[in-house]
Amino acid sequence: MENAVREKAKGLLTSGEVKVVIGWGWNRNGTRTTPVFITRPEDAGRLVWNPLCVNNLSVYLTRKFKDIQALGRPAIVAKGCDIKNIAVLVSEAQVKREDVYIIGVTCDGVVYRQELWKGELTPNIMPTKCHNCDVRNPHIADCVIGDRSGFVPPEAPAGMVFDRIKALDAKESAQRWEFWIKEFSRCVKCYACRQVCSLCYCERCITEKNMPQWIETSAHPRGNLSWNLTRAMHLAGRCTFCGECERACPVNIPLNLVNQKLITVVKDAFDYRSGYDASAHPPMIVFSPEDKENFIK
Amino acid sequence: MADKFLKRENLGRLIDSVRNGGARFVAPAIDARQAVYRAISGADEVTWDYILPRNSFKDYLFPQTEVVAEYSIGEGGVEIRGRELSPKDTVVFGSRPCEAASLASLRSVFTWDSVDEFYTAREDKTTVVTVACTNGDEACFCTTVGLSPESVAGSDVMLRETADGDFSVTAITGRGRGFLSAHSAAFEDSGSGSAQKPLFVPEKIEGVDISRIKERLARKEHYDDPVWAGLTRKCIGCGACTFVCPTCHCFDIIDEGTAFEGERRKNWDACQFDSFTLHASGHNPRDAQFKRWRNRFMCKFNFYPNKFNSRGCVGCGRCIRVCPVRLDITEVMEEMSR
Amino acid sequence: MNNLYLPHLATIEDIYEEAPDVRSFRLVFKDERLRDTFDFKAGQFALYSAFGLGESTFCIASPPTRKGYVQCTFRRTGRVTGGLAEMSIGDVIGFRGPYGNHFPVDDWKGRNMVFIAGGIGLPPVRSLIWNVLDRREDFGNITIVYGARTAADLVYKNELKHWAGMGDVRVVETVDPGGETPDWKGKIGFVPTVLEEAAPSSKDAVAVTCGPPIMIKFVINALGKLGFADGSIYTTLENRMKCGIGKCGRCNVGDIYICKEGPVYTAAEVKRMYNDF
Repeated sequence: MENAVREKAKGLLTSGEVKVVIGWGWNRNGTRTTPVFITRPEDAGRLVWNPLCVNNLSVYLTRKFKDIQALGRPAIVAKGCDIKNIAVLVSEAQVKREDVYIIGVTCDGVVYRQELWKGELTPNIMPTKCHNCDVRNPHIADCVIGDRSGFVPPEAPAGMVFDRIKALDAKESAQRWEFWIKEFSRCVKCYACRQVCSLCYCERCITEKNMPQWIETSAHPRGNLSWNLTRAMHLAGRCTFCGECERACPVNIPLNLVNQKLITVVKDAFDYRSGYDASAHPPMIVFSPEDKENFIK
Repeated sequence: MADKFLKRENLGRLIDSVRNGGARFVAPAIDARQAVYRAISGADEVTWDYILPRNSFKDYLFPQTEVVAEYSIGEGGVEIRGRELSPKDTVVFGSRPCEAASLASLRSVFTWDSVDEFYTAREDKTTVVTVACTNGDEACFCTTVGLSPESVAGSDVMLRETADGDFSVTAITGRGRGFLSAHSAAFEDSGSGSAQKPLFVPEKIEGVDISRIKERLARKEHYDDPVWAGLTRKCIGCGACTFVCPTCHCFDIIDEGTAFEGERRKNWDACQFDSFTLHASGHNPRDAQFKRWRNRFMCKFNFYPNKFNSRGCVGCGRCIRVCPVRLDITEVMEEMSR
Repeated sequence: MNNLYLPHLATIEDIYEEAPDVRSFRLVFKDERLRDTFDFKAGQFALYSAFGLGESTFCIASPPTRKGYVQCTFRRTGRVTGGLAEMSIGDVIGFRGPYGNHFPVDDWKGRNMVFIAGGIGLPPVRSLIWNVLDRREDFGNITIVYGARTAADLVYKNELKHWAGMGDVRVVETVDPGGETPDWKGKIGFVPTVLEEAAPSSKDAVAVTCGPPIMIKFVINALGKLGFADGSIYTTLENRMKCGIGKCGRCNVGDIYICKEGPVYTAAEVKRMYNDF
């Protein structure tokens, strides 16, 4: 399968159909994968595909990466979950579908923390998103590489993230508050969550807007709470649960919990799930007469 | 030659002795599945199972956010009061040799011209008790930058683990000797005679030559070398590497409060952020991520050594471990050694 | 404890509207002793604060030869300058400084002086112009070439008139094409071009320039064509700063800290710098 990815990349670069292939390669020691940008057909052999290919590379399609755009039309190697983000980018007019060639790869799951990898993909080292994945066969792509997965996700989403949300929902609001204050108190304001997120594509983030200062930049409890909650709200109805923010967080804030909770809220209120249809607009940016009003009290 | 010995089960005694003397005891503890330097109150909080704590102990010398002054505006006019700092004596226990070596670097920045007492007042009250490394991982590269798992620079006291899990203790500085005598009840005069546990010595990265890097960076032409853009293309521009780095020292100064009262704070900032050098006119001297990354690399291997006569990189590997896109500084060092 | 970040308090004694969104403050220290002892040199800068909003860096625009007050000139662009712009006479702001190096005025005795500025780049040069005029007998010919985007954007309009009327100062004013008004009597064109046309002699002369980074680059080229040696051309590089004292790590150009070794440099020094400003 890895060879098929390389052959495809080589073909696309040779024909000139794309100028750069965004994919994964090995680090120097061959122990971790890292994003690579292949511009010459003879370098296509650097591309790899394995369960360590956890990065959601769609972030490199956003306008923050002007030097990548300057290379010319890109192809991107993408798992189904990565493609969800591309679909949101297309629906929000950040990327034109025809401007990117999607090399979809079928996927049996990735490794949540690479240090757990012992050469074999086992359920216990896969993140919650993989256990519930309904896009192991890429749903939007220009070509799909790999054998069709027969995996059927559970009827009701399950796994650690959902269990923890349930446990939190069962608590009193004061306890939930205490939980989140404690979790957010570790935040160092490095903004890795934002930078790694392909849907945080604003060139000027609200945290950089200082007239007025919407969010205090200090890494104290007040500043941390307002940053993390504001980011969560800005992703409501858009986040696809790719999990990159929590993976990138150097202080292990469980961002998946807050993002997945909002996904559930949007699903219940608007019957909408982001990332499946590139022509559908996220509910928070469109008005519909059918929108529920039961939150108005 | 060891001055004293510390039995692992006597750590609690040492903590009590330090805390009874009014000092703060900072050591690695587990928080959110990570070892983190934290002020602790008892030995049961301390973890021994770590390579390096997630945070650098610079947190205790140069906090992420710190009030430097307070203002108030009222009928009596404007008043501004500087924050008076009287830091507590602090013992940082369980530091690693790489990190201890960074103290001289931070000090060089905060004292090279004028003296920033917000830093020095804290450092002057800090005793660093380092444990030589008996474990590590592939991100460790202290030997590549000229340090070792038992180098003593920056440490006041050095602990070396013995095969039976206790520690031989050596005082490195006068402050270290003072520490040993002040808390003598926690230490033994002789050990069990057990051999020293083997150290974890990271393999020196073959392709890296620090003096070549310095030479190359000193030549102005390297600035416009397209290799920079290629090497750092995947950088997403977060500040994770700088915030965990023991020598990164950049900060912002901001006001927080109302029109009537509030605080002036020093907050960590990062040269990786695009607004870091943005002029009011809209002009930005470092208007692309590769320029920002180049600046950070230059800071480590050119500015620190040339300007502050200290080391910019101690090889702790935190930036490698924490990078969401695995941009490995040693791979750039290798390229820059060519 | 010696607190490097603690500002002095200064009262706004007067406000001058210089141009749209550009104004000057005449500041007097609240601490009376400081009024007498405060000393600085032309080219140095300071950090000015609007409490609750933060600090901003600009040069000291008044000359060191005028004691008892300092003047600053700023354009309203962001949070701090926006706050300062809302202030009235009698309000109190914070002042930290003076910081940085300065123009080596004493080394220039007997030389002819050429000042070239663009837009909001005139204030640091103004400090120097008055400094030189207050010691007029120490210097030879004086030429001032100053331009802005539009006639309205020229700062210190009255002083430009005053200098031009002094008889022994040559003032050349210009605006960018399209920036002129019907009654505009000055030149039309970009500063480097107008400078070349004005062609001040490079003999025994020192040139001082300040303006947008791109203008500085072209002015240095133009001065070269006029025969000025790189060592006789001075500029002030005002990068973004927060601390002003070599700690916060953002104003550097390569390993040169503008706030400490600068902001004043010769063109020769600028040409040796990394291409990072």
